[in-house]
Amino acid sequence: MATGTAVSLENVRKTYQLAEPVHALDGVDLEIPEGSYTAIMGPSGSGKSTLMNLVGCLDTPTDGTVVVGGQDVGDLDDRERTTLRGMTVGFVFQTFNLMPRLTALENVALPQLFQGVSRNERTDRARELLERVGLGDRMDHLPNELSGGQRQRVALARALVNDPTIVLADEPSGNLDTETEADVLDLFDEFHDAGTTMLVVTHERHVASRAERIVHLLDGQIERIEELDSSDASPRSSAGHDPDERTGSAPGANG
Amino acid sequence: MRPLEFGRLAWRSIGSHRLRSALTTLGIIIGIAAVIAFVTLGASLQAGLLGDISPDDQRNLYGWAAEPETEGGPLAGAQPVFTQDDLERVDELEDVDAAYGYMPISTQALAYDGELTPQSDALIAAGPPYIRPETIDEGRQFEMGEREAVINPAVAGQFEENVSVGDELTIVRQGGEQTSVTVVGITDSSEGLSPFEGFEPSPRVYVPTDPYYTEEVDGIGAGFGGDEAAEDEADEADPADGDDGDAATAEDARFLAIVVEAPSADEGDIDQARDSALAVLESDDSDASELLGDDLEITMQTSTELLQQLQDILDLLQNFIVGIAAISLVVGSIGIANIMLVSVTERTREIGIMKAVGAQNRDVLGLFLTEAVVLGVIGAILGTVLGLAVGYAGAWYIDIPLVYPYEYVALAVAVGILVGVLSGLYPAWRAARTDPIDALRYE
Ligand SMILES: Nc1ncnc2c1ncn2[C@@H]1O[C@H](COP(=O)(O)OP(=O)(O)OP(=O)(O)O)[C@@H](O)[C@H]1O
Ligand SMILES: [Mg+2]
Repeated sequence: MATGTAVSLENVRKTYQLAEPVHALDGVDLEIPEGSYTAIMGPSGSGKSTLMNLVGCLDTPTDGTVVVGGQDVGDLDDRERTTLRGMTVGFVFQTFNLMPRLTALENVALPQLFQGVSRNERTDRARELLERVGLGDRMDHLPNELSGGQRQRVALARALVNDPTIVLADEPSGNLDTETEADVLDLFDEFHDAGTTMLVVTHERHVASRAERIVHLLDGQIERIEELDSSDASPRSSAGHDPDERTGSAPGANG
Repeated sequence: MRPLEFGRLAWRSIGSHRLRSALTTLGIIIGIAAVIAFVTLGASLQAGLLGDISPDDQRNLYGWAAEPETEGGPLAGAQPVFTQDDLERVDELEDVDAAYGYMPISTQALAYDGELTPQSDALIAAGPPYIRPETIDEGRQFEMGEREAVINPAVAGQFEENVSVGDELTIVRQGGEQTSVTVVGITDSSEGLSPFEGFEPSPRVYVPTDPYYTEEVDGIGAGFGGDEAAEDEADEADPADGDDGDAATAEDARFLAIVVEAPSADEGDIDQARDSALAVLESDDSDASELLGDDLEITMQTSTELLQQLQDILDLLQNFIVGIAAISLVVGSIGIANIMLVSVTERTREIGIMKAVGAQNRDVLGLFLTEAVVLGVIGAILGTVLGLAVGYAGAWYIDIPLVYPYEYVALAVAVGILVGVLSGLYPAWRAARTDPIDALRYE
C-alpha cells in the first residue's frame, strides 16, 4: 500500500473576523498518510468541519499551509482548486447535500458531468457505484423518495465516482439508525481496504474506533492523537501499514 | 461541460417552475409577437396594395397639376390642364422617350355579346406605351387613333363568355351613347398598371386617348375631371385658341395627367426628363400654364417616389411598433433577470453542492445563462407563433395576400437569445461567484 502523505497541514489557522476574531483553527499540524483511516473527534465548535473544509479544498486557511495530493492548496487559483477538489477528494456531508431535482443516478453522475465525461460513461459508472452501495433498485428515485440511510449511501456513491484518493466524511452517521450506520461504516472499511485515505469526523466513540487513529480537537487545536491498535480497530486486517511510519507521520500533537 | 448538458439541466429547473417560467416569458412573448404581427401585416400590406414596381415602370414619370400641399397621393386634387399640344411638345423633347395623356373616363356600362354589366370607372384613356409590353399576356398594345382596347383579366372574365383578343366590346358612355371597341390585348394581371390607378385588382379597359377622350370632349365635355374643371377650361380655352389660331375641338381636350417616359430608369435620365418636361409645361408658351396660375403646381414623380410616401407612413408605424416592442423586451428582460436572481438565491445550496463536487465557476455561469437563454428563446418562439397567427388573421381579415417574413422569425429567435444572455448575465455571474462554503451553510 502507498506510503506517501495524502494530506499535510502545517501550522494552519482559520480565523473568522467577527466582532472579535473567532479562531476556528488555531495552529494545527497534522499529517495524514496515504491509505490511512483517521477519525476526528471533538466537542461542537472545536473546528472539525473547518478542518474538513480545508482538506476538501472548499476553503483556504488564513495562515499556514494545507497540502493535498502533493499540491499546496493556498497556491492554487480557484479553478485549480476546484479541479483538485473534483478529482482527488470525495466529500460526504452530514446533511447529504444531494441535488433535490436529480435522481439518485444523476446525483451520483453529477461530479463526472463537470469533468466532461460522456453521458453514457457517467451513467454506467454511477450505476455500478449505486449497485455497490446496495441501491441498484433505487436509481431513478429522487432524494425525497429515499430514506435517510439510502440518501447517505447515494452521497457516498457520489463521493466515490471520480475515484478519489481521499474520502472525507463529516459526521456521516449522525442521522442514521444503528443498522444503517453499520452498513455505511462497513462501506468505509471497504474503501479503506481498497487503498482510499479515509478521514471521518464523528462524535461517537464506536464510529471512531473503526479508524487507525483518532485526532482529538479542542478549541481549534489538536488536543491529542490517539493511535488505535489496528487489530482492535476493525475486523479487517491492517496489513501493509507500517506502525513506525504512522507514528512518524503524526507530528504536532500540541495538546 | 457541453451545452447539451447545460440545456438538459436548465430545462429540468425551468420545468419544475412551469407557471413561474411561463409568466416570466410573457414580456418577451408580447414584444416579439407585436413585431412579428406588424411585420407580417406590413409586408402583406405592401405586397397587396403597392405591388412590386416593375423595372420597366421605373423610368415613367407621372405628372398632374394640383394645389400645392394637397394630401392623398397620386392624382389627389388633380385638375385637367394638359392639352394634346403640350403633350406633343414634351414628347418631342430630346430627354424624353415618349409622353402621353392619361384620363379616366366615366361610363355607364360595358357590353359584350349582348350582355350588359354596369361599370362606372373601368375606362382609362392613355397612350399606347402605357401598356408596358411585359404586362401583356396576350395580343398587343392598342394603337393611337384606332378603336382598339387592351383589357385586363377582370374584364375578360366578367361576362358569361370569356372575352378574348379580336372580340368586340361596347362601351356605354355617361350620356348613353354607345361606342364599340376591338379588344387587341389582354394584360396578365388585374392590378393597376400605374400609381394613378392604384394597385388593387379591378376591371379595367385601356383605350387610346384619341379617339376615345377627344370624342368625349367633342360630345359632352370632359367626362371625369369634374364639371367645374370643364367649365373653367371652357372659360379660358378661348384665348388659347386665339393664340394658336387652331380651333379644332380635339385640341381643347385637357388631360388630367401626363405620363413622361425617360430614356432609362437611370436617376440622371429621370431627373433630366423631369426638368425638361416641367420647363416646357410651366413655360408661358404652354397651354397648361394658362390654367396653372398661382394655385396649381405640377407634380411629376416616378412610381417609386409616389409610393415612397406610403412607404414612409408604413416605416413610421413600423418604428413606432418596434419602439413599443423594444420597451416590452426590456420589461421582459427585467422579468427574466428578476426571476433568475430569485432562482439563484433559491438554489444557493444547489450551487454549493455543484461546486463542492467539482463544478467550475464557468460551469455554474453557463448553467444559469443557459436557463435564461432557454427562457428567452421559448418566449421568442411563442411570440413568433403568436405574432404570425395575429398577422395572418389580420391579413386574412382585410383580405390582402400573406407574406411570410422568414428573416424576422430568425431575427426574433436571435433577439430571444440576446435577451436571455443580457438578462441572465448578472444573475449567472452572481451564482458563479457564490462561495461553496457559504452556499452549503445556507439554510
Ligand atoms: N463562517 C463562519 N463565520 C464565523 N464563524 C465561523 C464560521 N464557520 C465556523 N465558525 C466558527 O468556527 C468554529 C468552528 O466551527 P466548526 O464548524 O468547524 O465546528 P465543528 O467542530 O464542526 O462543530 P460541530 O460538531 O457542531 O459541527 C465555531 O466556533 C464556529 O462558530
Ligand atoms: Mg461540524
